[in-house]
Amino acid sequence: MNVIRDRRGAVLAGAVLVAAAAFCGYGAVSYAQARGDDALAYSRARDQALADGRRGIATLTTLDATTGQRAREGVRAWTRASTGALRTELGHTRPAVGASARGTVTEAAVTALDTRAGTAKVIATVRVSVTPKGGGAASTDRKRLEAVLARTGDGGWKLKALNAVPVTGSSQP
Amino acid sequence: MSVWEGIGRVVKVAEGEAVTTETEAVGESGAVEESGDTDAPDRPPARSRRRRFLLGGVTVVLVLAGAGLLVKAQELRAAPAAANHALTDTEATTRVNGDVSSALAKIFSYTPDGTGATGRSARELLGGRAARQYTQLFAQVRERVAEQRVTLTTQSVRSGVVSLDGDSAQVLVFLDQTARRGDHKPVTSAAQLSVTARLRGDHWQIVDIKAR
Repeated sequence: MNVIRDRRGAVLAGAVLVAAAAFCGYGAVSYAQARGDDALAYSRARDQALADGRRGIATLTTLDATTGQRAREGVRAWTRASTGALRTELGHTRPAVGASARGTVTEAAVTALDTRAGTAKVIATVRVSVTPKGGGAASTDRKRLEAVLARTGDGGWKLKALNAVPVTGSSQP
Repeated sequence: MSVWEGIGRVVKVAEGEAVTTETEAVGESGAVEESGDTDAPDRPPARSRRRRFLLGGVTVVLVLAGAGLLVKAQELRAAPAAANHALTDTEATTRVNGDVSSALAKIFSYTPDGTGATGRSARELLGGRAARQYTQLFAQVRERVAEQRVTLTTQSVRSGVVSLDGDSAQVLVFLDQTARRGDHKPVTSAAQLSVTARLRGDHWQIVDIKAR
C-alpha cells in the first residue's frame, strides 16, 4: 500500500520536474531568440547612436569660457565626445576666456545607420544661447546640424564630423 | 521498478551537483537518461525524505529560472527601441520620409495666381491640428501673395524619422524656402519642422507641425 502510494508520488514528482525543466528550457530559448533578434539589436544600436549623438552635439555646441579653467575643461569635453580628424582639430583649440555658449538639442533623428561599418548620421536642431565675455544679455540662435558618428569599442558613439546644414536654394536673381 | 529507476536517477542527478546557474539546471535535467545509477525502492526513509526535498528544490529553481528568462525576453521585446520602427523598417521609413517631405514642399510652395491649387492640395495632405493652423495662416497670407506677387518655393534638404510606430510617425525635416517678391531678388531661408504624421490608407498625412 505504502509502496504504491510512494510510487505514485514519485511518478508525479518526476513529471513535475520534467515539466519544470521544459519550462526553463522554453524560457532560455525565448531569451536567446530575443537577444539574437537582428531587428531588435539594430533598433538598440539606433537608439544608442541617437542618445550619444544628441549628447555629443550638445557638448560640442557648449563652452563655458568664463574662466580659463572652465574653458580648458570644455575643450577636454569636446575631445572626449569626438573622434578622428574632428578630435584632432578640436584638440588644437586654445582655451581662452571669452564668450560662452550653451547648446541644447531641441530635436534629433538618425538618418542613416550602418551597424557593420559602425557609422551613423544624425540630424539635429540646436538652440545655442551665447553669453558675451564678462556676462550681459545672452543671445539665442537656432542651428540645424548634421553629425557623422563612429562607433567606439564599447558600443558607444562619438562624433566624427559636425557641420551646419547650409541653405542650398539658389540666391541668384 | 522502471519508474523507481527513473526517479532515482533524477534525484541522483539533482543530488549529485548543486544547481548553480540557470543553464546548468537545464543541462543537468537533460542529462538524466545518461546517468546509469539505480536505487532500490526500499531505501531508508530519512534518505528518501532528503531526496524528495532536493527534488522539490530543483523544481523550484528550474521554474524560477524559466520565469526569469521569460520576463527578460519579454523586456527585450517590449523595449521602446523595439516598438520604434524608424530605420529598422527601411521601406516604411523611406515612405514616411518621402510623403512628409513632398507634402511640405507642396503646401509651402505657391505662385501669386496659384494659391487655389496650394490650398486644395493642403486639404488633402493635412489633417487634425495642422489643417486648422494652416487654414488660418493661409487665409492671412493669400491676399498678400496676390497683391505683392510673391512666389514661394520650398524643398526638403534633410529629413529623419524620429519614431515610427504602426500608423503614427514623428519626422524632423530641414527645409529651404526661397521667396521672390515681384521682380526682387529671391531670398532663401532655412526652416526646421517637427512633423507628426498619421497613415491614412496608403498615404501619410501631416496632423501636426512644430517649428524647431
